[in-house]
Amino acid sequence: MFFILLKKELFVEFRSREVTLSMLVFGLSIILTFAFSSNVSPTIIANYAPGMFWIMVLFVAVIGVHRSFSYEKEFDAFSMLISAPIDRGFIFLSKWISGFIFLTIMEALIIIPFFKFLMIDFPSQPWIAIGTTMLINCAIMAIASLVSGIAMRARLSEVLLPVLLFPLVSPVIIAATKISGSIMAGDPFSFWQIWLLIVLTVIVIFGLVGYTLFDFIAEE
Amino acid sequence: MKIFLNNKTNRTWFVLIIAMMLFNVWNVIVNTPMVPEQHWAQKIFYVHVPSAWVGFLSYFVVMVAGIMFFIKKDDHWDDVGLAAAELGTVFMALVLITGPIWATPIWGKPWIWEPRLTTTLILFLIYIGYFMMRSFGGHVERVKRYAAALGIIAFVDVPIIFVSVKFWTPEIQSHPQVEMAQQPSGILTPFLLSLGIFTLLYTLMLTYKIHVIRIKNNVGSNV
Repeated sequence: MFFILLKKELFVEFRSREVTLSMLVFGLSIILTFAFSSNVSPTIIANYAPGMFWIMVLFVAVIGVHRSFSYEKEFDAFSMLISAPIDRGFIFLSKWISGFIFLTIMEALIIIPFFKFLMIDFPSQPWIAIGTTMLINCAIMAIASLVSGIAMRARLSEVLLPVLLFPLVSPVIIAATKISGSIMAGDPFSFWQIWLLIVLTVIVIFGLVGYTLFDFIAEE
Repeated sequence: MKIFLNNKTNRTWFVLIIAMMLFNVWNVIVNTPMVPEQHWAQKIFYVHVPSAWVGFLSYFVVMVAGIMFFIKKDDHWDDVGLAAAELGTVFMALVLITGPIWATPIWGKPWIWEPRLTTTLILFLIYIGYFMMRSFGGHVERVKRYAAALGIIAFVDVPIIFVSVKFWTPEIQSHPQVEMAQQPSGILTPFLLSLGIFTLLYTLMLTYKIHVIRIKNNVGSNV
């Protein structure tokens, strides 16, 4: 059943491309704003680049999950979805994994403009950077999908989503900035392994909490 | 308040706890010794630490109430959760006010990214969102479920926030209460007394708040 729900998410998105396109354009606009507002030496920019990157990802993730859950409000599709005889935890899992896929696609498209516009060098260990970035995406989307599931059917959902998400996701953003900064500086694994552990903890805990709580949240 | 105090047990507890609180204030001001280099600033810890303890306890109650609400499907637990959330936020605000008052003469600046203080601030912000959800959420029954879920998520996030901030700023010193157990009895006894009295005050406030919420709900359902 999970794969049917995931297929539905991917099918809807690949037909309209609304989520990924809006994430991409918004992400590019943020990079341009960063480039215009920080016209300083490349060395200083390189110090701030990991933070800038994850702030951009967080903003873009908000746009993505909000749009992804907004689909369900149209024609009250969510009511039909939760009235189906399925484990509601699977709805959370499908939103989480599809959100992770869309966010990763957006990052793959935006990473080159990010480095080129801000005139910073690519990390010397690209595969480690890609692997850790994917894990961080997974952690951000676990919290974002859960919070979006809560805020989606509330009034003022577009305001409530960032207000609730940003403080909750702060440990992941701290860890993400530290990991990316260490990888870009070429630090050994022992320097940033604790941050990876925090990211993995968030994935496991929020994955389990989201799967369990969604059954109660997603009621008529 | 009048209806609440009509009950003899509530009235007795109310008078007793107010008397204990007044004694606590007098005890802290008059009887506790001055700590060298900190002087009057140190005395704020007899309020700051108990407020933090009660604040976290209150958010723990919100989480338990949330779990019970999902299990029992009983609105009573939503009332408990709302009452505890409001009180927890009041005490957390007290922590965020008293912390910088202490820090200004001791650290030379009102705010540093100390793990406990930062965790308190983040939790406070989460609960501002919680109250926005309660106020602007719309459908009453859904909002109760969302609030219960948020109470659980917020408390689950606390240790992760604390650990991440602790490793983020390892150079920043911890609060002095880490060494509280090694303090002389002149400091430790009034501190523990203050902790106990604050906990009793919180219990009374929680009982009263639940009572007020129930009356409000009854009035709302009768209109």
